[in-house]
Amino acid sequence: MKSGLKSEVFEKFAAAAGGIMNPSVAAWKQQGGKVMGYTCSFVPEELLIAAGLMPFRIRGTGGSQSAGQADDYFEAANICSSVRHCFNKVLLGEYAFIDGAVIGGGCDANRHILDNWQKSPVATPFLDRIFFPHSSHELAARYFRDQLAGLKVRLEAHFGVQITDQKLRDAINLCNETRDLQKELYAFRKLNNPPISGAETVAVMVAATSMPKAGYNADLKQLLSELRRTTVPDKIYKVRLMIVGPGHDESSICDIVESLGGLVVTDLTCFGAKAMFGRVRESGDDPLQAIADYQVLDRPFCPKNLGAHPHIHDEVFSNIRDFKVDGVIGQNFLCCDTWGGEIYILSKELKAAGVPMLRIEREYISDSTGQSQTRVQAFIETISGGV
Amino acid sequence: MINIFSQLLMQANKSLGGLCLDPQNASPGPFVLGNGDFFIEIPVAYGCSYSDLTLTGANGTARPEASELIDKAIGTGVESRMCTAIKVACYYLEAGLVRKPDLIITSNSCCDAMDTLGNLINGYAPWARVPRFNMDAPHSYDEASYAYFGKQLRQAVTFMEDVFGRKMDWDRLREVCVLSNKQDQLLLEFQELKKAVPCPANPDFSRLGFAYDRWTGERVSPEITGWLEQLVSASEERVKAGLGIEGINEKVRFLWQDLAGSWPPGALWTRLQKELGAVCIMDYMSYGTLTPVDLSSEEAMFTSFGKRFLLEDPMNRQALHTTDLFCNDILQIVKDFKCDAVIMPAHIGHRDTNSRMKIVREMCREKNIPCLVLGMDIWDKRYMTPEVVFDRIKTFFETVNLLG
Repeated sequence: MKSGLKSEVFEKFAAAAGGIMNPSVAAWKQQGGKVMGYTCSFVPEELLIAAGLMPFRIRGTGGSQSAGQADDYFEAANICSSVRHCFNKVLLGEYAFIDGAVIGGGCDANRHILDNWQKSPVATPFLDRIFFPHSSHELAARYFRDQLAGLKVRLEAHFGVQITDQKLRDAINLCNETRDLQKELYAFRKLNNPPISGAETVAVMVAATSMPKAGYNADLKQLLSELRRTTVPDKIYKVRLMIVGPGHDESSICDIVESLGGLVVTDLTCFGAKAMFGRVRESGDDPLQAIADYQVLDRPFCPKNLGAHPHIHDEVFSNIRDFKVDGVIGQNFLCCDTWGGEIYILSKELKAAGVPMLRIEREYISDSTGQSQTRVQAFIETISGGV
Repeated sequence: MINIFSQLLMQANKSLGGLCLDPQNASPGPFVLGNGDFFIEIPVAYGCSYSDLTLTGANGTARPEASELIDKAIGTGVESRMCTAIKVACYYLEAGLVRKPDLIITSNSCCDAMDTLGNLINGYAPWARVPRFNMDAPHSYDEASYAYFGKQLRQAVTFMEDVFGRKMDWDRLREVCVLSNKQDQLLLEFQELKKAVPCPANPDFSRLGFAYDRWTGERVSPEITGWLEQLVSASEERVKAGLGIEGINEKVRFLWQDLAGSWPPGALWTRLQKELGAVCIMDYMSYGTLTPVDLSSEEAMFTSFGKRFLLEDPMNRQALHTTDLFCNDILQIVKDFKCDAVIMPAHIGHRDTNSRMKIVREMCREKNIPCLVLGMDIWDKRYMTPEVVFDRIKTFFETVNLLG
C-alpha cells in the first residue's frame, strides 16, 4: 500500500493490516491475553470481547499467491480463493497464536472451513461455528439469539469465564464506539480533498479486526485528531469511486485507482462500511437479543441473505449521494455466487440510474494487477472524459 | 411387447418433460414462484400452482437446445462459474420467459447459487410489487431447527392466506399429507428392494419417482400412487425370482454422490449398464430418508415439514449440513446397498461438495472404498463430455479391478 500519511499511529494500523501476526497482537499475547479467530463480519465481536478474548478476523492476505496446502482440501477450480487463502494460512501455522476460532456460515465454502480445520493436523483448542440466518425477520433474529446463547455457554465452559449481561453491555458499548469513530473517519472522505486516501482507509478498517479493540479505539481517536489538524493541499481527482463487494481486506484496487489520479471515497464491503453500519442497541434487558437484532434485522448486508438486496441498494445509492461518487467498482471473487449475483443486480440498477460501474471478477490475491490496471484506467478515463 | 418398467419410464418421463416449460404453463388459480423446493403439500392443498425456478433451469439443460440456452445464460452476466442449472434459470428470468407470479416464496436451501437465484427473483424489477416471503433454512438438523423452519412455513401459509384472501383448508392439507405419506412409503419400499443383488429394476426409478410425485404438482394424484405401486410390485417379483435389471449383467454397483444432472438416463448411465454392467445404485435424488408427516397436531405437522425440508429433501440433506452427515451417508449407502465404489462428480457449481473433497477421499481410502473424483459440470456436457466421463469411469473400474 502506498501512503502519504505521516503519522506514527497510522503506521501502527498499517502494520496490523499488512500481515497476520502484528505488534498489537504480540503485546496482547505477551500479557497473557487470548485471541479468538473468526470468519465473517456477522460473528459478533461483542460476545468474544465479553468473554475476555481479543477477536481477530481471519484473513489470507500477505504472502504467497499460492493456496497450495488448502487446495488439497478445497477443489481449487471451484472454490473462492478467499476461503482457500484464509485456510492456507491456518495450515501454514500463521494462526498458531489464536486460542480458538468461530466459523460463520457466510457462504458454502466458508462454513466448511470448520470441517476441514477439525480434520487437519492443526490443533486449535477451541473450534466452533454459528450460522447466520439467510432471511431477516423476528423469528430469524430469535433463532440467531439462541445460537449466540449456545456459543456463550461453550465459550464460558472452555475459557472458564462468566459472560455476564454487564460484560456484554460493556462490549457492545466498546464496539459501538469503534463504529462511531469509523464513521467519523469516513466523514472525512466526503470532503473534496480528504486527508486520508481509500487505500489508507482500508488499512485502518482492517486493523480494527486485528488489534485489541480498546487500544484500537484510542489509536483511532488520535488519528482522527491528527487528520482534523492536517492541511491538505488542493488536488483535483479525476474521479471519486465507490467499491462494492465481499471481504475487501487489502488495498490493491484502491492503489490502482489512486495511482491513476482517482480516489476511492467509500465502499460497501465486509471490512469497510458494512462493519461500521449503525449501532447495536444499548438499552433493553437482553444484550444478546440486541446483538442478534443488529446482525439479522438492522444490518443484513450479506447477499447470502435473501432480503439483503433492498438494503444494499439503499446503502449504495445513499453513499453515492453523500460521498459524491462518480462511479462504482463492483468486485467479486471468482466462484463467489452470492456476490456475483448481487453485483449483477446492482449493475442493472446503477446503469438505469446513469451511474457508471466497472465489474471486476478476480482472485482474492490477484495475479493480474496489470489487467485490472488497464480496466480501471479505461473506466476512469471514460468517466472523466479522457477518452 | 413393452415391459412394465418401460411403460413406467415413459409415463414418468412424459410428466417430467412438461416441467421444462413449467414457467410458461399457466395453470388456473394463484401462481407461486420460488427458487427451490417448497413443501409441495401446502400449495397442492391450498389449490395454487407452485413452480421451482431452479428445477425449471435444470430441466432446461436437458432440452435439445441446451447448449444454446447455456450460452445465453452465460451471456446474462451472472457469476461466470455458478452452477449451470441456476444460470439457465437466471436466463429464463432475465429474458422475461417466466410467468409473473402472484406470490414469491424463497428460501436459502441447497447452495449459494440457489440463494443467488432467490435474490435475483426478489430483485427482478418487473415484479417489484409482487408480495414475497423469505424463509431461512438453518444449517443444522435438530428438533429446534425443524420447529424453527416449520414455524416459518406456517407463517408462509398465513402470508399466502393474507395475499390471496382465502383460508387454508386444514382438512384438505391433512388429506394431502396422508396420501403423500403413502407415496413416500412406496418410494422407501422400492429403495429397500434396490438393496437386492442384482438390483431388480433400474435404480434410476427412485430419482424419477421422487421427482414424479414431488414436482409434477400432482402430489395426491392416484396416477402417481398407482405408478409407485406398480413399480414396487414389479420389482418385488424380480427380487423373488432373483432377477436383475432386464438385459444387464450387473458387475459393479456404485454410488454417484451428487445430483444425476441432465446426463441419464441416456448418455451415461445406460451406457455404463450396458457396456460395463455398472449400475448406479444411488444418487442424491434417489436417497430417501423420508419419515411420515406427523398429523397429530398442526404444530407437529409443520415441524415434520421442517424436518422434511432440512434433512430429507434431496440435496438439502447433503448440502446444507456438516461433512460428518455427508460422509456418514456415504458409508451407510455403501454398506446398505452393497456399493463397490463411490463416484464424486464434484459438480463445478457445488461449493459445498467441492469444499469437502479431501475428507471424502481420505475416508474412502481408510475404509477401502474405491473413490473417483471427476470435476465435471453435471448440466453442461461440453465441460466434460459423456464420452470422457465414461472413459474415466471405465478406466477407474479397471484400475481397481471391479470389472473382473
